[in-house]
Amino acid sequence: MNTPALVSILRQGHYLIASIHTALDDSQMIRFQQDLIEQIGHHRSRGVIIDVAALDVLDSFGSLSLRNIAEMARLRGALTVIVGVQPDVAFAMVELGMGTGSVHTALDLEEGLVYLESRVANAVTDMTLGISG
Amino acid sequence: MGGLDGEHDVAALIPMVRRVVGARVTDPDVADDLVQETLVRVLGATQRVEPGMLEPYAIVTARNVVASMWKAQDRHRRNQHRVVDLRPAAAPDENLLAGEEHVAIAEALGRLSERERRTLLAHEVTGQDTRTLADELGSSAGAVAAQLNRSRARLRVEYLLALEQREPETDRCRPVLLALSSGERRRQQEVDAGRHLLECQLCARLSQPLLQRGHPRDDQVRIPIHSDADIVRARQGARELAARLAFSKTDLTVIATAVSEMARNIVRFAAPGEIVAELLEAPRLGVQVVARDTGPGILDVEQALTDGYSTYHGLGMGLPGARRLMDEFAVASEVGRGTTVTMTKWQPEGRR
Ligand SMILES: [Zn+2]
Repeated sequence: MNTPALVSILRQGHYLIASIHTALDDSQMIRFQQDLIEQIGHHRSRGVIIDVAALDVLDSFGSLSLRNIAEMARLRGALTVIVGVQPDVAFAMVELGMGTGSVHTALDLEEGLVYLESRVANAVTDMTLGISG
Repeated sequence: MGGLDGEHDVAALIPMVRRVVGARVTDPDVADDLVQETLVRVLGATQRVEPGMLEPYAIVTARNVVASMWKAQDRHRRNQHRVVDLRPAAAPDENLLAGEEHVAIAEALGRLSERERRTLLAHEVTGQDTRTLADELGSSAGAVAAQLNRSRARLRVEYLLALEQREPETDRCRPVLLALSSGERRRQQEVDAGRHLLECQLCARLSQPLLQRGHPRDDQVRIPIHSDADIVRARQGARELAARLAFSKTDLTVIATAVSEMARNIVRFAAPGEIVAELLEAPRLGVQVVARDTGPGILDVEQALTDGYSTYHGLGMGLPGARRLMDEFAVASEVGRGTTVTMTKWQPEGRR
């Protein structure tokens, strides 16, 4: 598990809410990536919200890491939405030539949840998984 | 960036990884978990390996993951019966250390000239002021003070060398260490101290105590870059320094992002290195960041500055990305010796 000071991963129904609380170095980011993917598998989560509001910078590695998480989550059947990208961080990402790719972003946690509800709820019913939060 | 997505097409590796794991593990749930762990590891390494290496790397990783699971199970079985505690290593003997220091000081003093030693001891130990010493030596107080500073700088260098119990390997070492010890910036430039520190392990180590003493310059931060934790330190250091000017929050993030890219390039391809950020007053207010490394150097700088090239060769968005973020960007590279990138962000006109 991660040190609570760096990141937290909370389970809410069939969603996971992962918050990054401080700037992460590469090893910590890789660790976070691994922990999160592990938990998605463990809880059979359908959706993941990653809150990056506390990140000072999203450089090429940070951006790619988020995209990788989303891709891995998708392979495990979970949808990812990134929330809380600060405007200045977003600006620098664009100038750098990076973005979040095809990963969906939302303003904050609330909007992230709304997005997941609209996308995942249908899918869950369709797949008749029989799991409910 | 379409090119990047192609590189990270990990989904395409899944059937192959499943085969490798499936051939070794029969329990489907365990196999699922091992496949997942393998993919996570491969994803973590995609930036460090060439695209063409991804598949062999995934195979090797899958085998490793399976092997380490077996090893862990085995270890667990053996440890169930273990009762002996491993005791922590004994703390170093502090008295012995103090003794070594004493010897080193005596040895360092012995390396000064008779006159230097006498003047220094008269001032530091007996407490004679520079005017009295000047009268005795038939010199001026200013000249004595300057001589004392030089002597102290030499004493610090010789003390550290004596403590290490070794002589420098090159004849550049002493001039560099002396320039650092005395804090004379022009002299440091003349002897190219920054580059020597990257090339010489001894001086790199000794520079730590030499540069940490006294009043550090407050318009400059210097962050040695060895491992990925230094990347965060570098970008935070540069941001804090730049925040003393009237940069907007966006500009500060832009600067921090560029520093992050350059520091990561050093860690990936060219460590050790350093990032030095400095506030500029002329010709305009701004912040200049120098990223210096000891890597293989760049054969074709122009090519390395184009997006496609750097992406394909695993350099990430490093050079072209950082260039877009900053106002000025210059690369000096010597193959086999290293690369120095100097980049500047000017404070927008009219801000105070
Ligand atoms: Zn040296």
